[in-house]
Amino acid sequence: MNTIKTGLLTTLLLACLCMLQAVQAESPIAIDAAWIREAPPATSVLAAYMTINNASETDQQITGMDSPDFRSAEIHRTVVEDGVAKMLPVSGLDVAAGGSVSLEPGGLHVMLFDPQRPLREGDTATLVVHTASGAAISVQATVVRKTGDDAGHDHAHHHH
Amino acid sequence: MKPAQILIGVIIATLAVTAGFWAAQAVLKDRAPRHDLSATRFPVARDIQPFELIDHHSAAFDQDALQQHWSFVFFGYTYCPDVCPTTLSVLNGVAQRLQDVDADVRFVMVTVDPERDTPERLAEYVTYFNGDFLGVTGSDAGLTQLTRQLGILYNRVEPEDGAAGYLIDHTAGVFLFDPDGRYHAVFTPPLSADRLAGDFRKMLQDYQ
Repeated sequence: MNTIKTGLLTTLLLACLCMLQAVQAESPIAIDAAWIREAPPATSVLAAYMTINNASETDQQITGMDSPDFRSAEIHRTVVEDGVAKMLPVSGLDVAAGGSVSLEPGGLHVMLFDPQRPLREGDTATLVVHTASGAAISVQATVVRKTGDDAGHDHAHHHH
Repeated sequence: MKPAQILIGVIIATLAVTAGFWAAQAVLKDRAPRHDLSATRFPVARDIQPFELIDHHSAAFDQDALQQHWSFVFFGYTYCPDVCPTTLSVLNGVAQRLQDVDADVRFVMVTVDPERDTPERLAEYVTYFNGDFLGVTGSDAGLTQLTRQLGILYNRVEPEDGAAGYLIDHTAGVFLFDPDGRYHAVFTPPLSADRLAGDFRKMLQDYQ
């Protein structure tokens, strides 16, 4: 009896593990430390930042983002050329196998247009990250008030 | 040539060289060495020609508004989601770091988007970062009067299909004006509060 029970339990456990792996295989991309800069009053454009990790053994590409909490979302890269800051739309963001890409102030960011509800410090909004392989990864981003210090060096809400 | 003439010639030459060295040293001594900076500082600060803008209280903001205090001036716009809030956060960090200095230091954002950035809108925007920050706007002509003499570029980029509102490429540096109302130095990106505050303390010492 005991042997049968143990066998059944092992089978169940293995089945569970397989299912977990299947879910992971569907979305090899994991998002970490997503946050949105709280907008100053009367502002309708915001920026979101995050780290995109690719735990899989194949290169992945992020093709875009959207959000039920904003009218639209676009991935942009801020570049400074000859002292002039420009924002360039990014249509495909490559994340190498086993690598990660950081969206940080002054560089890559998600430009968010027209919040559908007031978003203040501590609120969360949903962002959906789309990959070339067809996966859609939903992530909760926390709204952070950042008005001081060296932006980019004190990311709030890191999860370890 | 007689030996006496040669001797006189040598003495005169020696005196001339010595005098030259002495003069050079006197001049160098008079110009004390200035601190090394990461900012770009002019050997002689530049005068600012007249310009007419308004601040977020709708008061005149012209060349005289730069007198009697130091001014950190940034050119941006409120529809800018990344660079401008990041820079204003850095400037607030600079303000916190310079609270102990014996100098009047002010922080100003001049909009490169006067069409959308009204004084009311700028007031709400800049004071979100620091209640003492000043927003400045005005006519296109007034803006050009100031930006042209500082070598500031800004260029409206129309949105692609379906995108909201236009963006503006703009010079992302921070410009420093001294209490004589002169263009003293410029900080180019990447900006950090430590770097700006550290450089400012050195410039303050060199200025006094």
